[in-house]
Order: sequence, then structure tokens, then C-alpha cells
Amino acid sequence: MSATTPTTTEAETPTKLKPSKEGGVSNPATLWVIRIIVLAIVLIWLVPAIGLLITSLRDQAAITSSGWWTVFTSIGDFSQWTLDNYNQVLTSQGFDSAFINTMVVAVPATIMPITIATFAAYAFSWMEFRGRTAMFITIIGLMAVPLQVALIPLLKLYGGFDFDVSFLAPVYQFFINLNPNVDVSIETVRTGLTIDLNGKFLGLWLAHTGFGLPLAIYLLRNYIGSLPSELIESARIDGADHFATFTRLILPLSVPALASFAIFQFLWVFNDYLVALVFLSTNPGNDVLTIALNKLNGSNGESWYLLTAGAFISMIVPMIVFFSLQRFFVRGMTAGAVKG
Amino acid sequence: MSDTLTQPDLEGDESEVVYVDDSPGFGGTLAIIFFAVLATLAVPLLTYLMLNAGFNFLADKDLPPWAIGLAAILVGTVGTFALFTIVDYAIKLLPHNIGERVRPYAWAGPAMVIVGIFLLYPAIDTVRISFMNATSTEYIGFENYVYVFTDPASLRSLRNTLGWVFIVPIVCVGIGLGFAVLADRLQRTESFAKSMIFLPMAISFIGAGIVWRFVYSFRIEGTGEQIGVLNAMWTSLGNAPVDWLRLAGWNNIFLMIVMVWLQTGFAMVILSAAIKGVPGDILEAARIDGATEIQVFWRVVVPSIMSSIVVVYTTMMIQALKVFDIVWVMTGGQAGTEVIAERMIRQMFTFRDFGRGAAVATFMFLAIVPIMILNIRRFREEEAQR
Amino acid sequence: MRISRAIALGAVSAMLLAGCTTNVYEEGAFAGGGGGDAADAAGGGGGGGNEADNTGQVLVSGANTGVEGAALQEIYDTYVNEAQDDFTVTYSGSDGFEQEVILQIEGGTPPDVASFPQPGAVIEQAEQGNLVALEDLGYDIEELNSRFGEYLVSLGEYDGKHYGIPDLVNFKSAVWYNVPAFEEGGYETPETWDELIALSDQMVADGLTPWCLGTGSDAATGWPGTDWIEDITLRQAGVDDYDAWVNGELPFSSDSIKRSWELFGDIIFTDGYVLGGANNISGNDFRDAPDPMFQDPPQCMMHRQATFITNFFPGAGSDDELTAGEDYDFFPFPDIDGNSGALMAGQMLAIFRNAPEVKEYLDLYTAQEPQCALGTIAGISFISPRLDVGEDCYDNIIIAQAAGTLNEALNSGVARFDGSDLMPPEVGSGEFWNSMNNYTDSGPDNLDDVLASIDAAFGN
Repeated sequence: MSATTPTTTEAETPTKLKPSKEGGVSNPATLWVIRIIVLAIVLIWLVPAIGLLITSLRDQAAITSSGWWTVFTSIGDFSQWTLDNYNQVLTSQGFDSAFINTMVVAVPATIMPITIATFAAYAFSWMEFRGRTAMFITIIGLMAVPLQVALIPLLKLYGGFDFDVSFLAPVYQFFINLNPNVDVSIETVRTGLTIDLNGKFLGLWLAHTGFGLPLAIYLLRNYIGSLPSELIESARIDGADHFATFTRLILPLSVPALASFAIFQFLWVFNDYLVALVFLSTNPGNDVLTIALNKLNGSNGESWYLLTAGAFISMIVPMIVFFSLQRFFVRGMTAGAVKG
Repeated sequence: MSDTLTQPDLEGDESEVVYVDDSPGFGGTLAIIFFAVLATLAVPLLTYLMLNAGFNFLADKDLPPWAIGLAAILVGTVGTFALFTIVDYAIKLLPHNIGERVRPYAWAGPAMVIVGIFLLYPAIDTVRISFMNATSTEYIGFENYVYVFTDPASLRSLRNTLGWVFIVPIVCVGIGLGFAVLADRLQRTESFAKSMIFLPMAISFIGAGIVWRFVYSFRIEGTGEQIGVLNAMWTSLGNAPVDWLRLAGWNNIFLMIVMVWLQTGFAMVILSAAIKGVPGDILEAARIDGATEIQVFWRVVVPSIMSSIVVVYTTMMIQALKVFDIVWVMTGGQAGTEVIAERMIRQMFTFRDFGRGAAVATFMFLAIVPIMILNIRRFREEEAQR
Repeated sequence: MRISRAIALGAVSAMLLAGCTTNVYEEGAFAGGGGGDAADAAGGGGGGGNEADNTGQVLVSGANTGVEGAALQEIYDTYVNEAQDDFTVTYSGSDGFEQEVILQIEGGTPPDVASFPQPGAVIEQAEQGNLVALEDLGYDIEELNSRFGEYLVSLGEYDGKHYGIPDLVNFKSAVWYNVPAFEEGGYETPETWDELIALSDQMVADGLTPWCLGTGSDAATGWPGTDWIEDITLRQAGVDDYDAWVNGELPFSSDSIKRSWELFGDIIFTDGYVLGGANNISGNDFRDAPDPMFQDPPQCMMHRQATFITNFFPGAGSDDELTAGEDYDFFPFPDIDGNSGALMAGQMLAIFRNAPEVKEYLDLYTAQEPQCALGTIAGISFISPRLDVGEDCYDNIIIAQAAGTLNEALNSGVARFDGSDLMPPEVGSGEFWNSMNNYTDSGPDNLDDVLASIDAAFGN
């Protein structure tokens, strides 16, 4: 068993890891080789994105008549540069409300699945219960379900599903008798339980939660499950119950894993088009950013150049999220993945 | 399966010895089942009711949209956690031996209920529809499956998807891991370098489609400048321009490159986090023993993060199995680039044959079985090591 | 002892649930859509809707986005929303409309009215009982026939009832040319196929390339080629064969239809006719295809495409836009064997909700005045299907000319709808495209195989 006790790891990582990186092993020559390789990969990765950025700043005629890289040889030719694409996107009708809507969709649709998945991942990792393996495997299997097949059954479920609660009537009457002040008929309860989620943000949150959960549980269980068992056991010996262990030990230790999943889920929801379209389209005021941007493109795609600016505008928020969560990947990385 | 229903005691009782004060009798078992079901349903149901009530309440008020949004965000985020707390508190009020057996269901149950509704139910429904005709009005046996295995386009989609599932994950994980290891050595520039690999993930799919149009774009020779990077380079070497996305065989590779570009960031982020979790003293010890950097990588780093590699690899395989938008937008499956998810959507929503589409989807569910088996093994191994 | 405590707790939680639902009601559970106009949305359910209630909203969706989508909303605002106080009509356009609307219909949340680009899709929805028949909505078919002409109305007919109102038509039988280049070469616009071939030969002899041809369209590559086949078929085989062909009664491999492919082959496979050669046609994006015609010197002389293509001419929408009539113009696709015709595409409004406000919207929108007003919006190349919307409604002289040609053809019964939009989607949005690409890529020799594979998809 190669696991070291986490408390020592935690204390030593920051001081021990750094010297070992720079000192002794990685001599300057090696470091330069590494730098060049990293730079090369970064450049390859960036070429298409730089192309997009430059394109978004050129007018349509320039875009279609010469390659975007030609701007490097004619950089002083200002006639080809324009902010008009950005201007058109930012001033397009409903852009601001689409932006607010996107945030209203994306934030809860990121945090809800993470919360639910973290509890589940802990249970799958550190609790014993009947059906555990079967449940976990089901979760992995469900990752293969393309969400497109889920949309129609869910739309049906959202639109016309009534719980038949009439069988609860006697029970209900019992409580009414206990407290006559509550003046509610069984019909009211039925209405209260009727699902009508189409065109509502709640429906979209739940859908994104459902679609995001399998991956969230899978990733988080891998992380939480690989925390050293000594850690959990020592907490129990100290008298902490599961809930205390979870909130005081597991959550702080899992911040990197939570942060990385948060980024992916946020990105996915923020850039999602199909799910938002399907569940919000019955309510025309609820357009999200991707839908609003898609409407700028002409029927035959004649305004596709506007989408280049749109793509950059819609990239700002995810990049901010990435940079602000990235610091969690470096700091406080401790016991994760200690076990082989 | 060791956890059969008849077995009265749960496997892991030894590890919970601190908590177990007595073993529940028959009535106790009934109570456990009752509360397990209740606990499973409590969070999802309460979440729904709470949010629904909140929404309806807000819809009634004349508030600006951002205020409704802010309130919604608060309820949606803090509320879920609060509900788990309340339910866990309620469980503590139960007798100890019952409560401890109910708690796992309160924690894992909500997730199961939600994926049950949002994925499992639709998946089962899809399998049912795959045995029905185009408009799902009558059962026609295995006819749709016969079609899938005889139609040339469907067969090509099976072959192509197999290619995607084998090639894309290995390239993504390979580059992602290599990059994470190398970037780990850099000091100040690490964060920047990583964010550049991550960047494609932040571009919306519409944007990504345009990005790659400027890579693969093709113009007939002599009708103007090539505005695609690839053709500009290719023609500058003296070659005639090539229509890359219609170049038989190769076009599949060009589409896969787009996915690698988009998804390597995922592999890189997860693996980078895992690498940072490898304790420094283990690496140090290996180096002191005289291991070269490459040996350290293969003998210490890789084994240490193996579980993360498996997880990322599995995820990438599933992503490749489900690949759809790249193909749909760039070639629409023409010129021999069909993939199964594209066929599924084409059959369902363009050709409006739900039976055939569902049969293709069912095939997709079956294709995941080997991946699941791999993961069950891994899961068991991990448990055994504990 | 413990168990009784447990059961008591269960009762408490049940009470908690009950309490929750009570609150749901008391705090106004009846509000309709989140953030919407709650006052009149009372009781508004999901799909279906109550026929008697006016929901105050009419939702129309379609494939028109960008300038076109904005133009539709503009017309709706002016001629529908400001004309009455009972309801608001909202247009929602999407690139992926054709797939997305199927999702919504199957999920029980269709829009109130959908503008289908393919009559075939309307018939299919009617078949499945999802649509409201125009007769049931209170329409008089005779009146519609006189408004739109019998042919267009008949495209929406299924089982004795009608399900589609013609909307936004596009004229397809146009051959564009560079006016100054034609004047310089002393060329005259041809009126028959033979003249067209003679003209092409003349151009080749003069050292020019007659045709620009591109069928590339990302996921829909091939469709511009199918338009060629349809235009040729409509003329050389005549309207009766054309109708039989799109209905699947006359196979692609029949002599009559095969001849269309051969005539098309005469254009694309003749040396020097097509810029870049036949094997580059499928790679040439239809949006870029006309560009070389306007280069200096022009690299090709003619380009066949629907009227919307002017939106893609170099500089379209900017200050140095080309001038219709001066820089470019079109002539109608020439007659073959003495037959003329007009190929068109268009949309059909299909109705999913039977309600007075939906009918009122349709009446207001399809009236002569708003339909005529559509022709005044810049960047819109649509033609109104109303026969009484004449040339003078269109600001753009090209569209006016196209509208004139089309109206004339509709009146004389030789106008036909784009065949691939009438065929089953497996053919019209599938194998027809693929086979077209196959034909242009691989040359004239395997024509029989190409046609056989479409017939197989058609089930012939």
C-alpha cells in the first residue's frame, strides 16, 4: 500500500514539490526543451482560435476574399478592420435579456448536479448498502444515453403529467380534521402536484441536472473514493458522523475535483443550445444566449460572420469561470489519487 | 453479486462497527425499506416542490427579470444543499440501527431518482420504440435492426464510430497527459499554457464550426485566394487545393481532429489535477534511487494516477461513441462520414422514422456494455485494495 | 418502541409534504409561464391548450432567421399586433427548425403555427393527426384557391382536407449573368435549351468559361444540383411527368427522368463548360459559387440559382453592393422542347391549435397589404404566394421580375414546387443529394447505378 497519511502530505506538498521540480532533475536545458514543446502544442491549439478572433474583427468582404493570416502582412491596412460585427451582436434585439437568462439557467444547473452528485459519490465511496454496485454501474451505463433520445419522453412528462393523488383523500381528510384552519381541497393538492415545466427555467435546471449527474458522480466518486481510508476512519474514531465527515473533511479535500467538474458543467450548460431550445421554446421571452446568437445567422447562413463575434462574446464568461476556478487546481491538492 | 436480496446482513458491517448497536428484526427491516424509499424520494420531491412553489410565487410578482433570476439562483443552489441537511437531520432522529441503513439511500437515492427519470426511463422507452414502426403505432419485431445491419450508410456509421471510439480517446488522453506532465514543470506559465488548451472547450459549438471552416475551407483553383489554413499551406507547396472534408477515408480523420481539439482540454484538466496529487516524496524517493525522468513518469506517476486515467479514458470513449454535432454541422454524414449518433438523429428527425432511429440508439446502449464491464472490474479492485 | 417512533416520524414527513403543497396553492400556483404575462395566462397548460380560451399568445416558428426572421416579426408587429388587442404573435426562427419542430410535436409542445419549408412534412403531420385542417378552422378552400392558385393549395391536401397555407415563395428558375461581360461579348440571353448550349459553346470558343456551378452546402451538399434536375425535368418531361416523378410513380431510372440527368450531364461534363470541372462541383460551396462571375476579368459567365443568391453576391449588404440590372441580371431557365415552366420553393403554414386568435393572425398576415409590404423590406428575396400581390409591390427589380414570371407560370399551370421538398425525406433530403454528388464526382458513366440507388431509397 503506497498511501501515505494525508496529513503529512498536506503539510509537505507545497514545500517539497517545488524544489524537486526546479532543483537537480530539471536542468536548464531540459526546461527549455519542455518550454518549446509546450509552446508548440499551445500554438497548434491556438491557430484555429486566433483565426476566429481575427475573422471577427474583419468585414465580410475581407473575410471571404483573403485568408485571415494575410492580416499579418497588411496589418496597417485599417480598412479591413471593423468592430461592426461586435456592434451588431451586442445591439441585437434581446441580447441583454438572453445574457441574464443564460446566467439564470447556468448557475443553478451547475451547482444542483454537483451538490447531488457529491452526496451520491460519498455514499458510493464510503457507505455500504444493498445495490451499491448495481446503482453505480447503472450510472456509468447511462452516460451512453444520448440526450436527444431523452428529449421527447421528457417533454411529454413535463407537459401533461398529473399525479393521481385521489387515493390520498382519506389521509388528507384526516389531517384536515386535525387542523380545520387549513382550507384546502384534495383538488387543490392535485393541482399543486401537476407537473407543468415546459417553458420554465426549473424544467431546464432539472434536465441539465439529470443529464450532468452521471458524469459528475463518475468523476467525483473516482476522486472521493481514492481519498485514503485511514483519513475517513480516523475521523470516525474522533466521533464524527457521516455528515460531519462529509462537510468538514471530504468537501474541503474535494475542492479541486468539484472545481473541475463545475467548470465542465458550467461550460456545457452555458454553451448548450438544444436542451434550452426544447424546454424553453414554448415561452418566447426565455431565449438564452446560444439561441439568440443562432437567430442572427441568416436563413441560408448569409450572416454567419456575425457568429464569429458572437462566439467570442459568449466565450468571455466561461473563460472567467475557468481562470477563477483554476487556482483550486494548484493549491491544496493533497491525498487525491494516492492509491494506484 | 454478493449483495443479493436474501442476504440479511450488509457486506460492510465490520467497517461500521462503531455504529451498529443491534441488528434489526423483521419489523426493523420493513422500517428500513420504508424509510429508505422515503429518504430516496425526499430530496428530489422536496426540491421540486420548493422550486416550483418559489417560481410560481415569483411569477406572480412584478419583478425585473434579473431579480427573479437572482432569487432563483439562490433557491436553486443553497436550497438543494439545505434539503440534504434537513433530511440527514431527520435520519438522525431515527433509531440508530435503522437510520444508519437508511442514510445511504438518502445520499445516493436522489441522484438515482433523477437519472432514473431523465435518462433511464427515456432509454427504456427508446428500446421499446426500436421494435415499432416509423410512427410508433405498431410493433414490427426486429425489422428495424435488420435495417440497421443491412443499410450501407448505417453499416458505414458503425465502422466509422468504431474508429472514433478507438482513435479519439487515445489521442486526447495521450496529448492531455503529456501536456499536463510537461506543463507541471513550468512555473509561471503553467496556468496560461493550460488555459490555452482548455480554451476550445469554452467556444460554443456554433463558433467551433466556423473556426474549423477556416481550416478546411476549399476553393476551386484559380477562383480566388484559399481562405482555409490547410489549403493555403498545401497550395503554397505547389499542390492543387483539396476538398478535405470530401476526401474519402481521410475526411473521418479530419473530423476526429476537431474533436481532439475540442476535448483534449477535458483530459488535460482532470489529469493535471491528478498529477498534482502525486506526493512529492514518492517522486523524490524514485529520483534518489537513480530513476530517470522517463522512468519516474512510467513507474511512479502513471501508476499513481491510473484511476484518473481510466476515468478520463472511459469518459472520452463514451463521448466519441456519442459524437454528433461535429459531423452533423461539418459534413452531415455525407461522403462516407456517417456516425451512429448522426444516423440516429437523421432517422428520427429528418427521415422521421422513430423506429429505425431508436434501433440505432439501442445499438449505442449495447456498445457501452464492454466499457461498463471494464469499470465494474476496476471498481471491485479498488474496493478490495481498501 | 423504536419502530413506533419511526412511524410517527413518517407521519410528520407526510404532513410536511402536505403542508408544502398547501403553500404552493396559496402562493398562487396558477401562474402560467415563468416571467411571462401572468394575468392572462391563468390555467395555461402545456401542450394542446384549450380551444375556447384565448391565451393571448400566438407562437409561430419556422426556418427563417437573421434578416428574414426580423422582417417577419416586423410585419407581424405592424399588421397583426398593432391591429388588435386580443393577442400578440411572436415569430421564432431557427436554423435547425426541421429537426426541432419534430421534437416539439412529438413532445406535445408544438408551436401554434409552423412554417414548414417542405409540403411533404405538412402532409406527414396531417397523416399523424397533429394538424388542424383549414376546413375545420373555417376556411373556404375555393376562396383560398382564388387567392393562391389551385396548385399551391393542393400541395397541402391530405385525405380530402387541406392543411397548409402557402407562405413566402422563392423563385428558383433563374440563370444569373454578368451584364457588362455579356454586353462586351455581344451575347444574348437564350430562350431555349439549344440556344443555351449554343451560347455556352460560343463562350468556350471565345476563351471563356460559361458556367459557375457549386453544390457544396456543408451537411446538405448536393441540393443545388437537384434543382437543376428539377428545372430540366419540368420542361423536357412536362408537368404531368414531373408530378408523377415527385409522387414516386415514375422512377428515376425511367427514360423520361434519366434524360434530365443526361441533359444536366451535357452541361457539367462538357470540357470547358464548368469552372473547375465537374469533380469540383460538390466541393464548391453554393454561397461562394457565383463569386468568380464578378471577378475582373469574370471567370465564368452564368450561374443558375434561386433568387436568394443575390444576398451572397460580393459586397451584398455593404456600400459597394452590386447593382441589379446593371452589374447583374437573370434570365428565366430556358424552355426545352417548347415547354416552359417555373420552379419554386416556399413554405407552408401548418396549424397546430384551433383557436380564434390563430385564425385571426392568419387572416391578418395573409391579407394583401402585409404580403405586399414584405416586398419593401431590404434583403428579403421572398415572393408572396398571393396572386394579387403584383410586381409593383417589390422594391427590388430582380424580385419584381421574378414575381412576375412566377405569377404568370402559376396562372398558366406550369409552376411547380421543388421536387426534392415533396419527395419523402429519405429521398429528397437524403439519397437524391448523395447520388447527385456521386454523379458530379464520378462522371457520366455510372448514371444507371446512381439512379438505381435513388430508386431503392424511394422504394421503387
